[in-house]
Amino acid sequence: MLPNRSRLSVLVFLLPPLLLYGVAVLFPIMQSLFLSFFSWNGISDMEFVGLANYVRMLTADDIFWRSFFNALGYLAICLVLQLGGALLVASLLTSMRRGRELIKTLYLLPAVISTVAIAFLFVRIYSIEPVGLLNQLLHWIGLGALERPWLSDINTVLAAVSAPEGWRFTGLYMLIIYAALLSVPKELEEAARLDGASRWQLFTKIRFPHIMPVWITTTIMATTYGLRGFDIPYLMTNGGPGQSSELLTTYMYKTAFTSTDFGYASTIAVFIVVECLVAVGLILFMLKRKADA
Amino acid sequence: MTAPAAPVTRPLAAPSDSPPPVRRRRKPSLHRTLSRVLIALIVIMQVYPLAWLFITSLRTEHDFATGDPFALPKAITFDNYARAFETGNLGMNILNSFIVTMGANLLIVVLGMMAAYALQVLGFRFSRFVRSLFLIGIIVPVQIALVPLFIDYASINLLDTYPSMIIPLAGFALPMSIYLFCSFFEYIPRETYEAASLDGAGPYRIFGLITLPLSVNTVVTVVLVNSIFIWNDFIFANTFVLSEGLKTIPLGLQNYIGAMGKTDWTATFAAVCVTITPLLLVFLVLNKAMIQGLESGASKG
Repeated sequence: MLPNRSRLSVLVFLLPPLLLYGVAVLFPIMQSLFLSFFSWNGISDMEFVGLANYVRMLTADDIFWRSFFNALGYLAICLVLQLGGALLVASLLTSMRRGRELIKTLYLLPAVISTVAIAFLFVRIYSIEPVGLLNQLLHWIGLGALERPWLSDINTVLAAVSAPEGWRFTGLYMLIIYAALLSVPKELEEAARLDGASRWQLFTKIRFPHIMPVWITTTIMATTYGLRGFDIPYLMTNGGPGQSSELLTTYMYKTAFTSTDFGYASTIAVFIVVECLVAVGLILFMLKRKADA
Repeated sequence: MTAPAAPVTRPLAAPSDSPPPVRRRRKPSLHRTLSRVLIALIVIMQVYPLAWLFITSLRTEHDFATGDPFALPKAITFDNYARAFETGNLGMNILNSFIVTMGANLLIVVLGMMAAYALQVLGFRFSRFVRSLFLIGIIVPVQIALVPLFIDYASINLLDTYPSMIIPLAGFALPMSIYLFCSFFEYIPRETYEAASLDGAGPYRIFGLITLPLSVNTVVTVVLVNSIFIWNDFIFANTFVLSEGLKTIPLGLQNYIGAMGKTDWTATFAAVCVTITPLLLVFLVLNKAMIQGLESGASKG
């Protein structure tokens, strides 16, 4: 703390940021909570309905539950691609001597591209008429039987809209994990190697425990980003066909701005926030238990 | 007064990177070759779609509709680019994205630095509470703000303006930037401040003369990282902007789809190529600073 600061100076520095943050983030959260107890289409008078929206959401809305499980599937695919891919590439990268910078740059490239562009790109990659990259590739490697219109097949559409999101951000997480791996003390690795530790042991016993704090941060980042995923599914399929790629976020968006059911949309939004908080809490809780065990 | 800007110059190519070469060379390097091949494959998967995007933007329509998607174009044409500029308002979209990105970045940097200064340097009794308040913004998804902001904007006539996009973009990015500035301010030695205080400098002068000039590197990091997300923002722009004249790049690109019932894919891809160029150039030129920023942001956590 600075010795001669005044209460006023703290306020001068703190109030403007808090004001923006309050207007853009905190106040809207409160407002959503408030709206979730009302029925309102934006034009007529707001009508207080108590918990009716919540009851409807949890007990009477099949689409809601469908979207919820879809969102979990979407999250799972994103996490595997982003964190798994990131850890794999980061580990491989540490064993390389040249070209690390180039690979880092290339790997990060998709993160720079807008979701709209990515959605267009993948619509063409998945397409069957004219034949897109994926189907052509399957044809060449002899798996022609798997060729299909990935985005209109209800069995593949969820995976098909999740993959681009995973693809997009894996580079970001790779960078973070790579930086952490570089910070593992080299003496520790050398000592283990001299004791005859295999590469796998080296990884599980020394490297991974060492990067654990960073791994937690990245897991939380990837989870909260995965749960708020919206752009790519919305742009590629708009939740379709049927509801097979509907996520909670796209469902909420459509409830709000297509059906203009602001009250019910706010209820779903509140649920998404709770879901994010629970997810972060769960990650921290599981880690704590693991650490205690 | 020279204070070290130590945390910013991170030894990326640390001498310890290269393991003793002699011991390595004796081993049969099957593992090495395998990991090279694997990494090459993964990088190709990562980059090929983008290369394909670019190649397709140079194809003739006929070639695109009938040919093998992996083949090189039979003839290179720039017609797609001409049509892309005819169909849309690419120049205006880029300008709008630029205005929004600049506006939001300005708020993020100035306000983020101020909050971090109050939290980390000045310190006050409820600083822990304020910190956790800002943490909410990192965890909570942006979708929560859409309906309330839409309603609020409508009631104060702010819908369909630049600020309608800038306010939420800056607000949701603010916590991360505060966090980055805080972790940088930790590295400025306390003695620097104490010496300045003894010389009679108050909190405002210390901010202007010490903290601000030392933070240039962190500012670059914050701006670069946020620009990626703001430049590409789709959800706020899509919700709050209706008129053509304010559309940013992501919205402008949408106009290419099915405008005439049938999508002109090669022209669309040309438009995509044009719109990703500015950010891509910045990224490639400054990629070292950006990569360091991304790495330091998380590894300090």
